[in-house]
Amino acid sequence: MSWPRRTFDILERGLAPLVARYPRMAVPAASGLGALRNRLSSRWPSPEQVQILFPHLAPGAAARVAWKIGALEARNRLLVDAIRRHGLEPARRLMRPASEAFAALRPPLILGTFHVGAVQALGAAVERLPGPVLVLRLGALYSPSPPVEILSTEGDDQSRALAFQRALYHLKEGGFVVLALDGFPGPGLRVPCLGRTLELARGPFALARLTGAPLVPLVARWRQSEVEAEVAAALGGTEGGMEEGALAASATRWLEGYLMAAPEEIGLGLVRALLTPPPAAR
Amino acid sequence: MATGAQIEDAVLDLLRSRAPLAGNGALPADLRLGAGGLGLDSIAMVELLLDCERRFGVPAAGLLEGAPLTVGRLIAHARAAVPQ
Repeated sequence: MSWPRRTFDILERGLAPLVARYPRMAVPAASGLGALRNRLSSRWPSPEQVQILFPHLAPGAAARVAWKIGALEARNRLLVDAIRRHGLEPARRLMRPASEAFAALRPPLILGTFHVGAVQALGAAVERLPGPVLVLRLGALYSPSPPVEILSTEGDDQSRALAFQRALYHLKEGGFVVLALDGFPGPGLRVPCLGRTLELARGPFALARLTGAPLVPLVARWRQSEVEAEVAAALGGTEGGMEEGALAASATRWLEGYLMAAPEEIGLGLVRALLTPPPAAR
Repeated sequence: MATGAQIEDAVLDLLRSRAPLAGNGALPADLRLGAGGLGLDSIAMVELLLDCERRFGVPAAGLLEGAPLTVGRLIAHARAAVPQ
């Protein structure tokens, strides 16, 4: 059935120009479209996939979570489109004032994100941090303004080493480094998560080990038509740094607790990563 | 004061401690440290440069920019930075 898919794509694209000026109309409309799309297709994710990760959910509850994930994905697609068109301004307008925990963050600090919730809105949160911010990511959706700098991790080993070295010096000079813990290419640290295996990037944990800087999980959550940044308690931050595997396991335990409390926050990419066995186990 | 040969030996010792593929034999100067050479991943490469910074007391900030990092470039950097 390709016609409903095309129809939904067209309707979503129609909302994109509106999100910058009328977010309170465009965001709920995208949610409704995303939920309906998931409900009609029973895919991306299916209720069965949700139940594999959250077996405590009854079939009806798993279906409702799947609809909400469909809605989340549609809101995120809308936001990405708006950021591509207008830069970070649409995300700034959606971002709620910083929480006390967020406002209390001080460098040197590693902020590790997961692909949950409104991950693309985090750019509007990290520019509020009190200090220079270096964001490491694959490609860039927008051009940041100081004190935020985005460094792409695309390229060969040496390019990635250069980005890693820059992050290391940035922390030593007393800055914030922001980077994703999951959703990266290549081998990493395998940790148990929601009864499956999740592969996390080694870089953030190696940075913590080498610098002794604490690592704080950072996520963004949609609140109706707004976005709220949430931070966890700091992990690691010990003299000489914490062992990478132990730190990765701590970060994943935090993620598990977060998702068990709000399974509808899991991104489709993370669902796929968890349901696809890591290469050696295939 | 260290001789050029002593500096080269110290760099090769550091390299061998990080790169199992290095073995104990001679290493060509144009051998890359990363893929297609000694196979160091990005993190191991930076850790090796940190080892060099600690051992020779000179920053290795520019070594990853531009040309591929090779055994020869690493040795030349240490030689240029350490009084002989």
